Amino acid sequence: MVRVKGEPIRFAMGRRLAAVSVSGALVLAACGSSGTSGGGGAAGGASDKALVIARGMDVNSLDPSRAYCDTCQIFMTAVYETLIGLDSDNTTLVPRLATKWESNAAQTEFTFTLDPKAKFADGTAVTSADVKWSWERLKGLQGASSYLVGSIATIDTPDVGTVKVTLSAANSAFLAQVNASYLGIVNSKAATAQGATADPATDKAETWFLSNSAGSGPFALAAYTSGSELRLKRNDAYWGTKANFPEVLIKETPQAVTQRQQLEQGAVDIAMQISNDVAAGMSGADVKVTQVPSFNYVYLAISPGAKGGEKLTPKVREAIRMALDYDGLVKATVGGAGQSQPSPIPNGFAGTDGLAKPKQDVAAAKKLLADEGVTSLTLDATFPSLNVYGVDFSTAMQKVQTDLKAVGIELQLNPVEISVWADKIGKDGIPVTMLYFAPDHTDSSQYVQYFGLLPASQWQTWSKAAAVPAETDLLNKAFAAQDAKSRGDLYNQLAKAMIADQIIIPVVNPNLFLAARSDVKGMHYSACCNLDLAKLGRG
Amino acid sequence: MPPLLFGIASIVFVVSRLTPADPLVSIVGERNLNNPEIVAAAKARWGLDSSVFVQYGKYMRNLLHGDMGTSFTTRRPVVHDLWDRLPATLELTFAALLIGTVAGIGLGVLAARHRNRLIDHVARFFALLGSSLPAFWSGLLILYVLYARLGWLPGPGRLDPRAAVPERITGFYTVDSLLHGDFSTLRAALMHLVAPASVLGWGVVGIVSRLVRASLLDEFSMEYVRVARAMGLRERTVVNTHALRNALLPTITIVAFTFAFLLTGAVLTETVFSWNGLGSYAVEASRRLDYPAIIGVTILGAVAFLVTNLISDIAYAIADPRIRLS
Repeated sequence: MVRVKGEPIRFAMGRRLAAVSVSGALVLAACGSSGTSGGGGAAGGASDKALVIARGMDVNSLDPSRAYCDTCQIFMTAVYETLIGLDSDNTTLVPRLATKWESNAAQTEFTFTLDPKAKFADGTAVTSADVKWSWERLKGLQGASSYLVGSIATIDTPDVGTVKVTLSAANSAFLAQVNASYLGIVNSKAATAQGATADPATDKAETWFLSNSAGSGPFALAAYTSGSELRLKRNDAYWGTKANFPEVLIKETPQAVTQRQQLEQGAVDIAMQISNDVAAGMSGADVKVTQVPSFNYVYLAISPGAKGGEKLTPKVREAIRMALDYDGLVKATVGGAGQSQPSPIPNGFAGTDGLAKPKQDVAAAKKLLADEGVTSLTLDATFPSLNVYGVDFSTAMQKVQTDLKAVGIELQLNPVEISVWADKIGKDGIPVTMLYFAPDHTDSSQYVQYFGLLPASQWQTWSKAAAVPAETDLLNKAFAAQDAKSRGDLYNQLAKAMIADQIIIPVVNPNLFLAARSDVKGMHYSACCNLDLAKLGRG
Repeated sequence: MPPLLFGIASIVFVVSRLTPADPLVSIVGERNLNNPEIVAAAKARWGLDSSVFVQYGKYMRNLLHGDMGTSFTTRRPVVHDLWDRLPATLELTFAALLIGTVAGIGLGVLAARHRNRLIDHVARFFALLGSSLPAFWSGLLILYVLYARLGWLPGPGRLDPRAAVPERITGFYTVDSLLHGDFSTLRAALMHLVAPASVLGWGVVGIVSRLVRASLLDEFSMEYVRVARAMGLRERTVVNTHALRNALLPTITIVAFTFAFLLTGAVLTETVFSWNGLGSYAVEASRRLDYPAIIGVTILGAVAFLVTNLISDIAYAIADPRIRLS
């Protein structure tokens, strides 16, 4: 299977993702963009003025092998290029540092051919040795995103322009993982000179990476002040199409209300975390607000093996799922600016076509509980006190509490800090709780690996439910599948299996609000990379 | 002071470790908590794989050398974080204290001189509002009205988002811009201070004005005031020259402690105004159970209390000769 430049592959994602992509295109249209794709083409016009973005930053590190956060995705995409990019349709993989790639039929070997023109910001060429070094360091340091390269067994570099990766098992999702922003390529010579190694015991480069960068992307790090701002400068020696903005500033602005005020006053160009209630009433010729479906969601998790969750049999769990008022939850949490979601694989990803939307059926829920001999049930519902994607967990849990009370289930709500929540769920488990998920890449496998009842998966461990071998078999088949349709069918079966598990119940898939000054062009929500700064322009 | 700080550091260390919470979630993310390799690497890197006693011994040994450890959140030495953020909070605190003390004394004097009249009631109501209104509410209100609607004041932050930060000498933007002769930045920095310092200072106004009013009323009943009035001195002279000086003595202590409290307690104001100071650092450290940062901020807070206590004792002695003589 050989892919060549200009022959982008369609990645296996469903029709609903195409709908999302259309919405994304609408955003582009709304912003007057002619968003280009692929190797860093820029939309809009060049600008002498810096682009200022207001957002609550969650930066944990700027070391490409350790960074793992939403802001890190934006930073990594701008500074460290991946071998493969994602087109603005959020579906098609396109060349970036690699001009072509191929895999064997067993999906265990992947070969990438690097673009000979590719250069780092300091002018040195991007070579296969840099790719090998970057991914081996990512794996060796065991940072939060290292699981993305966990399946790599060996990396060979037959010549400076070729990288051959051998995996320990079949993994058809590997190309999507290569597309994840965390797999950006680092200038190995520059980083090694600053003490970067693949051994956590000897690596000393994280501090250096907080004020320097060594990537090949359209931007380079200019300065970072924790809790204040992240400043990027244009890489004027960029080997592709140069970015429009000479400088991009991401300013720490945790409050959505403040983001809105600053945007309306013209102090910032983009506000990235406007919630539905804050967006309401935003108007004026100078500001444009658009909402697009996102792949982020908030879910309810039921743990039958948790202390106090002994009565959560499959029928009781199904009763809980049927007792929930899904439309009401979307309305209560995000004012209707979102969707319900049938399975733990979000709307638009491969395997979600044809899944029936969840519906409330109180009578059926009561009957299930009666059949199970449950007349009253009180459950601990400790949950992290968070507000994510505009969803306030307390509001969502209060609505869940009200819905469940109607069928005789009493939830004892207990909002706590996430560190307290993590300690509790790791020890005794929590019968009913709430959490969120955002994708790291574009393949459905990440959801199965996290939510499915595979042995030692995250939620199999936390829920203490018995593993379901059939799900492991289906996932292995999906990893070995060679075409998008077979993968889609297998993920569809997995989605249905996870619905049947009744462990994870998505409650709201909120829309994303994109708010910008009307002269900002090229705004687009990317499934892999959040916001591609190189595609933004003014005019 | 060293034994006290040692004791405080020990208590905070033990309490933070006894908290039933898992700091790993903020280091590896909740998505990796079940990944044994990632969790083991994180524990080894941050020293969480050894016993609490070993961790305590290591921390105290490093602390003696001025090393407060590295923050889980910022990945920088805590000492550097505190050094970077302290000027922002100090600048805000000094401004808030200035506004709060001057306005509080003025309001207290006014209220005492017009006891039980309309001015007194208005002054007390204003003071009550300052003490009771939460900073996040008054801060958002001020931003909405004076920034978003009227445009009279600049928005959140220490400077406008696009403005260049003055090269650091002290870390105080006002002082640094002045030292660099950059008066436009000085003006901008002062304008940016007005709203957050007023919000923070309003609470100080409430405390100081009520204290000054009560102290002045006590002084007014003293014999020396009656004598001064009987001698025909002007009321302004009686109040400002004689009574107020004595009435301000307890205020010195309160202002000193308020300063120390504001230094680490301006969390809400710093959050609302995107002020990158110690308050926002402390709250983020607490949320993420960032042990080194939590202990670092606590030690700094303790030092602030001790130093301000010392300064208030000295100020007291300067203001009241009886203390010097005794």
